[in-house]
Amino acid sequence: MEFGWEESQLDYRRRVKQAVDELLPEDWDETYVPESYASDLQIEFSREFCAKLAERGLLVPHWPAEYGGTDSPDWNHFILGEEMKAAGEPRGPQYMNVNWIGPSLMKYGTEEQREQHVKGISSGKVIWCQGFSEPNAGTDLAALRTRAERDGDYYVVNGSKIWTSYARKADWCFLLVRTGPGRKDITILLVPMNTPGISVTSFPGLIKDGHLNEVFFTDVRVPVENRVGEEGQAWEIVTYALSFERVGVPRYHTGLDALDLAVEHLKADGRWDDPVIQSRAGMLVAQFEAARMMTYLVVDQRVKGMPPSTDANLSRVVALQAVTDMKDFLAEFVPDCLAGGNHLLEDYYRINIPAGITGGTNEIQLDLVAQRGLGLPKGRS
Amino acid sequence: MDFQLSEDQRALVSALQGILADHNELPQSERFSFFWHDADLQAQLEQSGFLDAARDIGPLEAALVTYECAKNVAATDTIGRGLVAPLACPGLVFEGPVALVKEADLGRAIRNLPIAQTLLVECAEDVRVLRLDPGKILPVKSIYGFPYGRLADAPDLSAAEHVPGAAATMRQWWRVGLAAEIAGASAAAIDFTIDYVKQRNVFGRPVGSFQTVQHRLVQRHGHALAGYYLAMRAAWSGNPVDADIAASQTQMGIKELLFDLHQFNGGMGVTTEHQLHFWTYRVRALQAETGGTHAAGLDIAANRWSQTAKPSAASQLSMAGS
Repeated sequence: MEFGWEESQLDYRRRVKQAVDELLPEDWDETYVPESYASDLQIEFSREFCAKLAERGLLVPHWPAEYGGTDSPDWNHFILGEEMKAAGEPRGPQYMNVNWIGPSLMKYGTEEQREQHVKGISSGKVIWCQGFSEPNAGTDLAALRTRAERDGDYYVVNGSKIWTSYARKADWCFLLVRTGPGRKDITILLVPMNTPGISVTSFPGLIKDGHLNEVFFTDVRVPVENRVGEEGQAWEIVTYALSFERVGVPRYHTGLDALDLAVEHLKADGRWDDPVIQSRAGMLVAQFEAARMMTYLVVDQRVKGMPPSTDANLSRVVALQAVTDMKDFLAEFVPDCLAGGNHLLEDYYRINIPAGITGGTNEIQLDLVAQRGLGLPKGRS
Repeated sequence: MDFQLSEDQRALVSALQGILADHNELPQSERFSFFWHDADLQAQLEQSGFLDAARDIGPLEAALVTYECAKNVAATDTIGRGLVAPLACPGLVFEGPVALVKEADLGRAIRNLPIAQTLLVECAEDVRVLRLDPGKILPVKSIYGFPYGRLADAPDLSAAEHVPGAAATMRQWWRVGLAAEIAGASAAAIDFTIDYVKQRNVFGRPVGSFQTVQHRLVQRHGHALAGYYLAMRAAWSGNPVDADIAASQTQMGIKELLFDLHQFNGGMGVTTEHQLHFWTYRVRALQAETGGTHAAGLDIAANRWSQTAKPSAASQLSMAGS
C-alpha cells in the first residue's frame, strides 16, 4: 500500500495543465464558465478544444492506439478528468464520449460503427447526447416507452426523451428504445440528430441551461445498421457502459476548488476570522479528501483489472455527502453567491443540485452496496 | 498509487490477525464490564514485536497494527506504545503501554492510564515523558470502552524526561493513530451489526431487509472505509495535514455511527452482554481526543488558507498532485 504518484503521472498532469493553460481563451472564467458546460457556447467551443487535445494525444490517452489513443494506464485518463473538471470541463459533453460511448462501441459496435464513431470521437469534433430517461422512466429505465418498430431495413421510432443534456447541439444520440413488450426488450440505436421527425425543446430549471431538454421522436426512420448489438441487448451494453462511469466525476476536485474560492470570497468580505467558519471549511476538506480516497480506490481496482465491486457505488455515496455539505456551507456562509455575488460559486452550486440523481440515484447506489456489497437481505417487493 | 497491501504488509496483518483471533472471545467474567483490557494479548503484541513496527518497518505498518487491533473486542494500547511514542520520542526506550495526554488535561481521567507504564505529556512545544508508578494511579469508572485513570498527585513535569520540540510530532501521530483506531473499531461494530440485523426478525422479516436500515449501514460503512484509507495515507506520507484530515473525518462520523448502530441493535445494544458497546464506546471515547473534529478542522484551515500559506495551498496535501 502506498499513495504516491509516479513521476510519469506527475509529468502527464503537467502536460494536461499546460494544455489547458494554452488552449483556453483568456475570458474562459468570465464568459464561458458561467454558461455551464452544457450551454450552446461551451458545446461549440468543445469541438475546437477537444480537437486540439486530440492533436496533442491528450483526449483519449487510455484508448488503444488503433482508435487514436496511446494505450496509457487508466490513471492518466483519471488525471485528465480531474484537470478538466478543475478547469470547468472545457470538453463540454465530450467527456461522455471518451468515458463510455467510445468504449461501448469498441466492444459492441460493428466494424463500420467503430470506424465511423470511435474514430470520430477520438478526433474531438463530434457531440453526442444520451437518450435514456423519459418522463415516466428515470431511475426505472425498464419502464421506458419510446418504441422502435421494424419496417424493412429501418426502425421507426416514436416517443420522447427528457433531461437530455446537450441535445440542442448534439450530432448523434445514443438512444434506448423498446423493441418488444417485456421489461428487458430494450435496444440501442445510434441516431443522427438531424434525422427528420426529431425535435428538441428546452426548459428552464435550477441547474444551468442546456441540461433540461426534451427530445421528441415522430416516425423517425433509423437504418437497421445503426443498431448496437442485438435487439434486447441494451441492458448488457448499458451495464457495461456505465461500468466506465461508475467512478463518476471527480467531485472532490471541483469541490476543493470551489471551497478555495469561497474562502477567498470570505476573506475579501472580512468574515474569514470566524473560527466556526474556519473549522467547517477544514472539515469539508476532510470530507472531500475522503471522497478522493474512495475514488482512487476504485481507479486502482480498475487499473489492476480487478472484478467490478460495489466500492464504485460507495465512492459516489461518500462524494455526495461532501457535495451536499459543501452546498450547505455556501448557503450558510456565502449566501450571496446565489444572488449575483460570485458566478463561479453559483455555477458550482447549481451544477451540483442534481448530484444525487444523475448517473443513478443515490438510493440506487445505497441499495446496490447494501445488497451486493454488504450482503443484506432484499426487502419485500 | 496502490491501495492493496503489499506482500510483506499482508504477511504482517495475517500474522497479527492470527494472534487477535485467539483473543477475540469475551471471557464470562467480563460479560458485565464496560471495557475489557486483555493483558495477555497486550504482552503478546509487545513480545512478538508488533509494537515495534514503527521503528523496525515503518509508520504505515504501525498504523495497520493499530487498525487491526482496534477491530478486536479486547482493548489494547497500540497507539501510544506502537505509534506515538516511538515516532515522537525516537531516542527513548519504551516498554509496556503508553498513555497520552495534553498538559491541560493532566487533572482529568486519562485513557489507558491504569495499564500504562509511561505517560507522554504534550506540553506547549515539547513532550514530557513520565515513567509511572502504578500505586499512584486511581482507576476511574466510565462507560467508555477503555480503562481510564487519574493521577493521584500532580506530577512534577520539570523532573520528567524532556523531548524538546516534539509536541507537534506527538499530536500528528496521535491523530493518525486515533483515526486508525476509530476506523478499525467502526468497521468491527458495523460488521457486528450487519450480522445481527441479518438474523434478528421484526414484523416477520430481518431487520436488515428494511431499506432505511440498509441505507444507513451503507453510509456508515462508506465513512469508516474512507477513514481507514485516510489514516493509512497519513501514516504513509508523514504529512501533518494528512493526519489532521484523517482525524477530522473519522471523528466527525461518530454521532451517526453510534446513533444508527445502537438503533439497529435495539434494546440488546444497551446491555453490556451484547458486545456492540465494546467498539462503539471506544469510538465515543476518541471523539474529543486532540481536540476533536472541529480542532482538526481549524488546523486544516490554518494550513490551507493562512495568510502565510503558499498561493497553491492545496499542494500541502500529499496527494494534491500539483
